[in-house]
Amino acid sequence: MLRIYQRLWQVNWAEQWQYRANLLMYLLYWLVSPIVYLAVWTTVANSQGSVKGFTANDFATYYMILLIVDQLNSEITIHLLAYKIQDGTLSGELLKPIHPILTNTLVNNLAFKALTLMAMLPVWEILFLLFRPDFSSVTPQSVLLAVPAIVLGFGINFLFGAAITCVAFWTTRVYALSEFYYALLILFAGQFVPLDLMPPAIQTIAQYLPFQLLRYFPIQLILGKLPPEVIALDFALGVFWLAVAVVIFRFVWRRGVKRFSAVGA
Amino acid sequence: MIDAIVIENLSKTYQVPEREGGFKAAVRGFFRRRYKDVHAVQRVNFRIESGEIVGFLGPNGAGKTTTLKMLSGLLHPTGGRARVLDFTPWDRKREFLQAITLVMGQRNRLSWDIPAADSFLLNQAIYRLPDAAYKATLKELDELLELGPIMRKPVRNLSLGERMKCELAAGLLHRPRVLFLDEPTIGLDITAQARIRTFLQEYNRRTGATILLTSHYMADVTALCERIIMIHEGKLKYDGGINELTHRIAPFKLICVTLQDGADCDLSPYGTLAPGENGCKTLLQVPAGEVAAVTARILADLPVHDLTIEDPPIEHVIERAFNE
Amino acid sequence: MLKLFTAFLKINIQMTLAYRAETLTHILLNLMWLGWELLSLSIIFGNTATLGGWGPGQLIALLGVFRLVNTLMAALIWPNTEKFNSSIRDGSWDYALLQPVNSLFLVSFSRMVIWRVWDLVLAAILTIVGLSMSGGGTTLLNLLGFLALAVSGMLIIYSLWIVLIALTFWFTKFDNNVTILQALLDAGRYPATVYPLWLRLIVTFVVPIAVATTVPLQALRGDLNGLQVLLYLVIGAASFFFASRIWKAGIRKYSGASS
Repeated sequence: MLRIYQRLWQVNWAEQWQYRANLLMYLLYWLVSPIVYLAVWTTVANSQGSVKGFTANDFATYYMILLIVDQLNSEITIHLLAYKIQDGTLSGELLKPIHPILTNTLVNNLAFKALTLMAMLPVWEILFLLFRPDFSSVTPQSVLLAVPAIVLGFGINFLFGAAITCVAFWTTRVYALSEFYYALLILFAGQFVPLDLMPPAIQTIAQYLPFQLLRYFPIQLILGKLPPEVIALDFALGVFWLAVAVVIFRFVWRRGVKRFSAVGA
Repeated sequence: MIDAIVIENLSKTYQVPEREGGFKAAVRGFFRRRYKDVHAVQRVNFRIESGEIVGFLGPNGAGKTTTLKMLSGLLHPTGGRARVLDFTPWDRKREFLQAITLVMGQRNRLSWDIPAADSFLLNQAIYRLPDAAYKATLKELDELLELGPIMRKPVRNLSLGERMKCELAAGLLHRPRVLFLDEPTIGLDITAQARIRTFLQEYNRRTGATILLTSHYMADVTALCERIIMIHEGKLKYDGGINELTHRIAPFKLICVTLQDGADCDLSPYGTLAPGENGCKTLLQVPAGEVAAVTARILADLPVHDLTIEDPPIEHVIERAFNE
Repeated sequence: MLKLFTAFLKINIQMTLAYRAETLTHILLNLMWLGWELLSLSIIFGNTATLGGWGPGQLIALLGVFRLVNTLMAALIWPNTEKFNSSIRDGSWDYALLQPVNSLFLVSFSRMVIWRVWDLVLAAILTIVGLSMSGGGTTLLNLLGFLALAVSGMLIIYSLWIVLIALTFWFTKFDNNVTILQALLDAGRYPATVYPLWLRLIVTFVVPIAVATTVPLQALRGDLNGLQVLLYLVIGAASFFFASRIWKAGIRKYSGASS
């Protein structure tokens, strides 16, 4: 099994490498919004000292870490698979004796991630020099603790993304569904605005939804801003949501493949 | 009679970066790129009278499409002169573009998602056709091509033959006086090919339009063109009638003989034996001048069941002409 | 020209009508994003009275103008880019050149995403609401300056687009020709004056999105003097002039005229 993943990695890495120019452009696209919001909040914080306890430096550290966590947690399954389901070329992958999504698609996601991270590091360095955030609150322990949190977050996001992609077995409007999911993510994950600044009602809801586990939780974990009991609660929530995602994905995938073979595409 | 198309010493040379295989060569090529001249068309001359249908033949890469693109104004030549309807094509004057069309069998101009009829309306606006003229032309094309229900279905749902009909109609709505057709029948089945052919013939008869057409199907050429122009590796190879070409290249006829049951005679004394086709028992290749005499002798000497005389297939003639 | 425009319009309306459900979904998603944008504005102004000197009304008006630009891009520029790139790839661009119509007109208007009209209306409403909220000090002269600069700003972005796609004639493998424009568009959402200097330089000179969003509103606020307004107008006209020259050169290059 490990050998399969190794081979898949070689193939997918080479494939993604071919598209590195496109990748740089996507990266640019990805970077703009966080930077804009960072600039906006820095201006606000500077003009009045702090915003609800957030200083300019707090914003800088938050968004700088967000850039990395965002990359680590992201998934692109819908772009890899939806068209294959729609034009029927998925059948080729279904013939192979391995689960197409949990092997090939997963590795492709990881290769994409590795390459974008590689391209992002120099950009991140430049931003670091421009904004000069003070990372003194970050400790080795907090970074170490964030590793399982990020893996958990990616697992949840990947499985939800895959389940959404599988809706393509039934309808062509799967991209709209994915956009809707992304909108929820932006609203409840602390993507452009740290959750602390959101209206209290949204904060309460967000705490229990899976989305904050993808951004806010790992970021605050790295920055050492969470008390132990919240960390424990969030990890527990992460395991719970991962289980939910597994169940949903398995259900949609099985039904979808059944339908796919019934239609005979 | 005025010449619709005149070209003199028309040439097109492309500069193509030379690339060798291998990593070293790639690195070298990055710093000092070497260019190679590709002579797509070399000093070609011909003139075509108004109202003629001319077949433009040549193997792949001979320079046919390049020539058609220059004549329709898409490409600037690197040398020589061309006049189409007394315009220099690559000036791309509005009046010139109004008077010509280029239809390429392998490229689509119609929008995929909507019915052809709607794309036609767009063409009406593009070519500024008055309502009355547009309707009359469309009616005529509809009648000739039997477009009927086809043009009201989204193009993506049409068969290849149906789509080609619509492509042709779209290219002819502005009643061009010169038609450049690049492989208009490619990929079509025999019936559809025949339909397109009859249409082109009828269109030429009705409007007196000049047609220059390339095709890989010799049936298109023999059915439509009395004259052919052949180019090979960018150079003019032949310009003249099909019959004259046959006469020059293959001055023989084929006699197809089927003998009565049981009879098994050696025909080799009467002419050269050729590989049999069309269910003939025996195919004889005989010099054109001796056909009558040889036929008479065969009929007198042998128990003949059936005998026909044919021209050599045009494909063979063309192939031999290129290999000359 | 107007007749041709109408013909394009008709064809594109038909295409939209063929995809009814998609259209409805798009409109709903769009409303959702608008909700998000307004929410983030309300979060910002829940925590501060002004953003770099700009009040809520002015930022809503800026959001309106930003959405106006964004919509024009989404309704015309992106779909036409896609069509242009694919027609270069499969060779059907030849047909476009054979038509007796200005090729720049053809490449700019043959695709239109019709349902975006709804978005234009929303953007206009936002702008008007924002303007009346910030109201008061606005003079008629400032309003005229605002309108003129908005038009000229969009002309500058349009010119940049022309140059970017014309580059395809020289570098045939240039499918990413507009991505940089697409990527940086989002930076037009907030006043460029709150950005750090380097970002301000990028959105003013490299991808001049701020010229179509921030600058017109600055004129409205009375931040610009007459000379500056005039300068921006001249830049708008000049950039369109140069862009159309480059486009023509690109067409000549495509047909091999230079060699």
